[in-house]
Amino acid sequence: MKSDTFWRYATLAPAVILFVLLTILPLFNLLALSFNEIEWVNREAIWKWVGFRNYARLPNDTLFNAGILNTILFAVVAVAFQMVLGFWLALMTTRVTRLRIFYRTVFILPILVPGIVIGAIWKLMYSYDFGIINQIILWFGGNPVDWLGNPDLALMSVIIVDVWHWTPFCFLLMLASLESLPQDIFEAAEIDGAKRWQVLRYVILPLMMPAIIVTFVFRMILAFKVFDEIYLLTGGGPGTATEVISFTIYRRFFTEDQSGYGSAMSLATIAVIAALIILATRFATRKGPEQ
Amino acid sequence: MIMKHLWGERARFAGLLAGTAMAAALAAPVTAEEAPITIVINQSPWFPGFQAVVELYEETTGNTVELDVNPFAGSLEKQRTAVRTDESPFDLLIMNAGFFVEFYKGGFMDPLTDIDPEFKLSEDIYDFDESVCWDAAAEAVTCGGDGKLTAVPVNPNILIMHYRADLYEEKGLDIPKTWEELYANAEMFNDPPNMYGISQRGQRGAFDVTFDVFPYIWSHGGDIFKDQKAGDFTVTINSPETLAGMETYIKLSQDVGHPSTAGQTQTNVIQNMATGKAAHIMSVLAPGLFDDPNQSAVVGKVNYAATPGSADFPGATPLGHWLAGVPVNVPDERKTAALAFLTWFQTPEAQEAYARAGSAPVSRAVLEGPMSETEEFRWMKAMADAIPTAGLTFLIPESSQVLAVTELRLNEAIGGQMALKDALNTAAREIAEIMTNAGYDAPMLDDLK
Repeated sequence: MKSDTFWRYATLAPAVILFVLLTILPLFNLLALSFNEIEWVNREAIWKWVGFRNYARLPNDTLFNAGILNTILFAVVAVAFQMVLGFWLALMTTRVTRLRIFYRTVFILPILVPGIVIGAIWKLMYSYDFGIINQIILWFGGNPVDWLGNPDLALMSVIIVDVWHWTPFCFLLMLASLESLPQDIFEAAEIDGAKRWQVLRYVILPLMMPAIIVTFVFRMILAFKVFDEIYLLTGGGPGTATEVISFTIYRRFFTEDQSGYGSAMSLATIAVIAALIILATRFATRKGPEQ
Repeated sequence: MIMKHLWGERARFAGLLAGTAMAAALAAPVTAEEAPITIVINQSPWFPGFQAVVELYEETTGNTVELDVNPFAGSLEKQRTAVRTDESPFDLLIMNAGFFVEFYKGGFMDPLTDIDPEFKLSEDIYDFDESVCWDAAAEAVTCGGDGKLTAVPVNPNILIMHYRADLYEEKGLDIPKTWEELYANAEMFNDPPNMYGISQRGQRGAFDVTFDVFPYIWSHGGDIFKDQKAGDFTVTINSPETLAGMETYIKLSQDVGHPSTAGQTQTNVIQNMATGKAAHIMSVLAPGLFDDPNQSAVVGKVNYAATPGSADFPGATPLGHWLAGVPVNVPDERKTAALAFLTWFQTPEAQEAYARAGSAPVSRAVLEGPMSETEEFRWMKAMADAIPTAGLTFLIPESSQVLAVTELRLNEAIGGQMALKDALNTAAREIAEIMTNAGYDAPMLDDLK
């Protein structure tokens, strides 16, 4: 028995050591940095203790506030659309037998396209002067729309790109879950005279809830980290209309070279994301026994 | 007979072999005299010209140069990381005018004359407001006193007014010398969405919209700081003069400009001119592009002039030039090789080749020489006229933080998200806070009402 325990710990140890080295230590380093500012004098990095000053700056930082708000808005709206669309596509295709592989391949194509290519494609499509969308609008006699330059439209335009990009991810997970559901329950529901919406509401949705929650949590985590689409399409503008927190951190930490302040901002963001994960996990655990 | 034929064949073969060997020897690459070097550089409209010159250097000397090409902000970050390590992977940093002081003041760059006391800046090469020199003791950008030569300029990168010469000729217009004249001319051509009177860059970036508004605010007597060279860091971004400059910019954009000015990047602005959708642009030079039938719908139709001024102040352009410097943390052998490249780069041959490859040279002799009289290089005169009016924008290592403020607030004002006066007052407060925290005496003006 003792030998078993020893081997359990021994086999776990490499993973724990790697986790500590690659995750915990950098986090501690980030924490230490967040209470300092670094100044370079004669090629020497001088660490200057500033206490909580970096944290105190956060509430008054226009970009940080806009970044947090926009990120939450972006994540909630984009993920909601992706979940609904992904679920709907999965429902639609699960019973398709003809050209099944073709449909599925087409639906997952966007997820295979590299972010930089997506940025180039959509930037061109959204172009005020040369974009295909405005060309169509002009063709129908309308006026061109400033998709990325109008503060009221810019975030929505980026969300559309994200929905296009990530819906296949939700679709894939939902489809896998849908196809693994036991068929006899459906047959029983049919025999009991359940209508289609009743099957959906009382059979499919409850059974798929764990998969839906996992997909939702995955997507929320990824959506909170959105960077490439913003970087490539709008650069956070116009004004702060599409500023998201990862882009703010990038600017403060790297472009402006404020490593202490950037660290404080990173830790604050990690705290928000961790809170979200904890909430989602609790929600999932609570739902668990109902299945 | 047969033997004679064979001998003849052999002789011919031997002759052919000898000839081939001689030709091969003549065509063989020149033996490299210097160690291979790596240059970290950004991807700008002028980059293809620099790349062509580097290739010419390699062909001519046999030396090897590797180019590490990055987006604007990415290049800055790579440079910072490189100089802060034990040994820089880059032997030459191509630093932008907005950020070079950070590298000078941090002690990261080796004065070129410390590497080789004989090394000097050719008299033909512009010193761009003395930005090539650094006085470490005085912490000042100056070639006087103890200032040492620390970099060689590689591209002038100043704002030049591009206009449609064919349309000007058609309407019999004169080149505008003031913003009012530019407005009047732009108004004549403004017919959106077919053509915009002017296309201006207004998007937020690392040093984008701020760079492009300098001609407007300087030509109205405004600025961000009162007098950086004299050490007066009074924040003047909310002065009536700066306000007047910004009002001029916004009036042009709203009345005769692109409807999406706040979202326009440098690429968009250049595209608008290249596709024939803009009558005027203020842009860094990319002359090769507009005369290339594969990239332009306006071949031979674009001409160039210095940026306009106001009734009280002449036109002035910010220096967005690029400087090549050698980091301290590079082995001596590679420092010498980097200097060899910089020495060659300053020669008239290299500078002329640079111009022929479609980029603006940094040599006064070339910009004002016989090439400038030709149609192909008609942009040289505008460049030579504008360089003496050009000035440095930031002389502080905190420029990237100040730029984060100006890029946001100016973009908000241009996009209508914030009233112009509020944007300038807010920017002033934020800049003053950055400067005060960094230890400068940075008083503020009263808020604009």
